[in-house]
Amino acid sequence: MEVVNPRVALLSNLEVLTLLRELESDHLTRTKLAQRIKKEEEASGTVHGSSTLANINAHLEATENLRTIEVEAIGYLSADYLPTSSQSAEGVTKLVKDLAPYELTKAEKLQVVNLAPTLAVELYVIVEELEDRLGDRMEEILTHVRSSTATAAASASQSIGMGSVDDVVHIEEDSWQHNSGEDADGIIDEDMFDDTGEGAGVEGDLDVDDDD
Amino acid sequence: MFQLSIIKDTLSVHPSNFGVPPDEALIAEINKKYANRVLHDLGLCVCLFDLVQAGEGKVRYGDGFLWYKVVFRMVVFRPFTSEVIIAKVKSSDEDGIRLTIGFFDDMHIPAAYLPQPSAFDPNERAHFWLPSPPSPPSSPSHTTSAPSLLDSLVSSRMYIDQGEILRVRVEADQFCDDEPGPQKFVEGVGAEAKGRVRAPYNVVCSIAEQGLGPVAWWTGETEDTGDVDAEGDAMEEG
Repeated sequence: MEVVNPRVALLSNLEVLTLLRELESDHLTRTKLAQRIKKEEEASGTVHGSSTLANINAHLEATENLRTIEVEAIGYLSADYLPTSSQSAEGVTKLVKDLAPYELTKAEKLQVVNLAPTLAVELYVIVEELEDRLGDRMEEILTHVRSSTATAAASASQSIGMGSVDDVVHIEEDSWQHNSGEDADGIIDEDMFDDTGEGAGVEGDLDVDDDD
Repeated sequence: MFQLSIIKDTLSVHPSNFGVPPDEALIAEINKKYANRVLHDLGLCVCLFDLVQAGEGKVRYGDGFLWYKVVFRMVVFRPFTSEVIIAKVKSSDEDGIRLTIGFFDDMHIPAAYLPQPSAFDPNERAHFWLPSPPSPPSSPSHTTSAPSLLDSLVSSRMYIDQGEILRVRVEADQFCDDEPGPQKFVEGVGAEAKGRVRAPYNVVCSIAEQGLGPVAWWTGETEDTGDVDAEGDAMEEG
């Protein structure tokens, strides 16, 4: 094992939560499928017959470690004392754009996104020398933060419950499906396998998010 | 709090998984090996983000596995120094407060990083902070030591109870690589393993700053202190 680059990019809590929720739903559909196949086989009496698919699923089944950290991290990130579950990808992108004129550092912007401060006290902790640097523009930042979570909450209530989260997951899923398709084709051709285009694209997006 | 790290490794795929697309098999292998594991000087691996590059599977002499050279990106938990994090109090003792964030428990606040003046109440098993310190004692040599703090009015203490939500700042992190190594023999008898195994990854946090500490202190600040004062007055009168 070799660590090529310990920190390529920083991830916001929302990105991690979206990824983990996607894993979770993958896991659920997989277990459901395995159970259904098992039932069908039991019903038709061919238990030892063509249970290959179920076997394969069992092999690829997430290990205990992954399940543990997945469930615990989702539990923490979607807790009601963190704003992450009320955020949306669009809201965060807009917030980062809105924050651009205030000359905050990358780390400060990341923390504003992760903690979504709505009180001046919370902002004091995140931004160093707040008063000297921002003066009375502090309230503007807080308003931007409030509007970013408010729009997310509104869109969530419009599309009933998990709607907004589904949207985010959907966007991610598209890129992933694309990814896996390319990789499947690339078994024979090694050149196809390094999906530099895909990886670079995702990375670039992340950087843009952080830089803006 | 989270970061992406690029890692390169050589992994094997069991023949029973040859039926599935190789990328899926590799993703499963990577998550099996790395998920929820602390890598030295890197952080706590959460899960795979995506595959960057994978070589052609090769069979080695001696086993039937397919060996792949893979480069992939990992989601790693590694809060940077001075980052602000929301965490929960797991337990308190004389040395400080232990914190948890669900998937990671090796975070603590040493007593030195608690807001001053503060002390540990052995009856409540919790630290407390005195927002309005008692008038300085007559002897200038020892200023507000723990015993004098414990004489303070209970109603004026701000307790940091178990399960409370704290806003903390990351001060430092430390990696410990405790290899078992060869067994040490002391006078012909195998020495007992050390009682307490050090956690591989420790994060030291602080709440000794305005705005840090229990979230409730700062959200309803005015009402809270008002209530406390009222109670204190009542106690003094009674």
